[in-house]
Amino acid sequence: MEKLTRRIRASAAAVAFVIAAALPGVASADPMRIAFGDIATVESLHLLVALERAKEKGVDIQVTYLKSEDIAAQAVVSGQADIGIGGPYALLQKVKAPIRIFMQLSKLQFYPVVNTEFYKEWKDLDGQEIAVHSRGSGTEAIMQLMADKHGIKYSNIAYVPGAEVRTGALLQGNVKATIVDSSGKRVLEDQAPGKFAFLPLGEVSATDEALFANSDYLAANSKDVETLVEAIVTTWREIAADPKSVVALREQYKLLPDATPEMIADIEPYFTEAAPNIPLNGGGADAARDDFEFYTISGALTGEAKDLKVEDFWDLTALNAVLAKTGTK
Amino acid sequence: MQMTASPAKIDDALGTSKKAPATVGAGLRRFADEWRSFWVVLSLAILFGAWEIAGRVPISYAFPTFLETLSAFGEMVADGSMIRAYFLTLQPLLLGVAISALFGIGLGVVMGLSEKAEWLLAPVFIVLQAAPMAALVPLVTFVYGIGLTAKTLAVVMLALPVIVLNSYKAVRHVNPSLVDMCRSFQGTRLQQIFKVIIPDASPVLFAGLRLGIAAGFIGVMLAELLITPTGIGDLITYHRSVANYAHMYAAVASIIAVSTLTLAGLQYVETHFLRPEKRRK
Repeated sequence: MEKLTRRIRASAAAVAFVIAAALPGVASADPMRIAFGDIATVESLHLLVALERAKEKGVDIQVTYLKSEDIAAQAVVSGQADIGIGGPYALLQKVKAPIRIFMQLSKLQFYPVVNTEFYKEWKDLDGQEIAVHSRGSGTEAIMQLMADKHGIKYSNIAYVPGAEVRTGALLQGNVKATIVDSSGKRVLEDQAPGKFAFLPLGEVSATDEALFANSDYLAANSKDVETLVEAIVTTWREIAADPKSVVALREQYKLLPDATPEMIADIEPYFTEAAPNIPLNGGGADAARDDFEFYTISGALTGEAKDLKVEDFWDLTALNAVLAKTGTK
Repeated sequence: MQMTASPAKIDDALGTSKKAPATVGAGLRRFADEWRSFWVVLSLAILFGAWEIAGRVPISYAFPTFLETLSAFGEMVADGSMIRAYFLTLQPLLLGVAISALFGIGLGVVMGLSEKAEWLLAPVFIVLQAAPMAALVPLVTFVYGIGLTAKTLAVVMLALPVIVLNSYKAVRHVNPSLVDMCRSFQGTRLQQIFKVIIPDASPVLFAGLRLGIAAGFIGVMLAELLITPTGIGDLITYHRSVANYAHMYAAVASIIAVSTLTLAGLQYVETHFLRPEKRRK
């Protein structure tokens, strides 16, 4: 018995020590933990610049790069991250977690593309197979929207995750019709000029990436969140006005130090192309309503778009405070 | 207090020593024999009960309860998406497992019988078995694209080394006195192989086959999650992306159940039809 009590005492002491050792880590350091559902690339340079600027204004930011948007969203739901990056509409609707989007970062920017040996226009895709990113993704919704608009029907939709994979498959001839992102578009234009045709896309306006957080966090850290939102809004406007400035900003803040020369060469064309589509006012209620329209079609949101309420998905406090200060554009 | 428990103490604790004068092991075994399905049911009931409680707490907003998962499963079976998914998932799985079983047992037996074949092939399979296959599966797409071939290959990559190495060891560890006996009775080499070596090796061959099929299930899930989402992998990815967590868990749980049932079925076939002497009395 003696031995057992001694053991219990020893384990209790060990547990107490471990808790005591772990607690200061939880209590004292309180940075803004941002979960990024992707690795940092040229396409996120402007965000990295904005984060650096928010840091300059005294916000302690800690960024974690995760494998996918879903995981970033889970990190926010479980409280392991404060702010997530992505488009978690389905999660917001179905999981009753107190998560709100508070700012739009980018809109979907995709290009339906066909191999001109086989197809020339939307009508040619009637009864043909196309490839998109994944089931329920924005790319599928765009292709479905355009099919409805042109009165055509695809024979099959193949799911090929990764725009760069679909770009490669197009070049190799494994895929004849798909939808790629802007860097895929540039690769296709460089490597096989004239071989592929980009099909016209009507008005498609939907959030690709947004910032979201727990509403308790937003309320408790409103000052830091506003600083972050302001840094992003001002950086976005600066880059939209002068896309070339990103190159200089990257050097100024020493971002992506491991970037290869090809990646650096890609910065300017990417932002020149993206500039007209950069949201200058952080989205807000208008963007939310556009998203309801789009994501009810894509299947991420269920129900009628008109029945969805902005306040169930967005928390506009920080954004409105910042726009009051910086004005809208 | 002594931390080791003597058999007498266990007997006291279980209250079996007075009734059954036989050893504790025999008593327990008899009890387990009589109540076997009861314990299985109890074990599952505890697991599902714990799941239900964890879902109701909830441990995470994204963690569904057991009943929600069950109804999501029913819904997916009813609308046909589960059946369609299994139709797609079983194609690379059955193909890959069949190839692995055929070539795996063949190669393993040859390696066990011939030292030259062993030297030639054993290192390759030992390396393959040690390699973290999840890291290699995406590379398959560079060579074989994203179709059925790539997925079947992923299954083979996981299942084949396990089956080969187990078959090889099974043949290597055949009782030498049986082989000697065959020789003393002037049995030919073929008789030696088919009448003595393979029957004596069959328990381990079957164990290898079971492990290989389990590895095949891992392979097909890796393929469906890492190459392109089809079948059950698609159900998991899709329902995760639209936050239907109960459906996602139902898909995950269903593949675990199918894998478990397959292995249990294989064991049943083995003990009831092929090696009846192993059956529990």
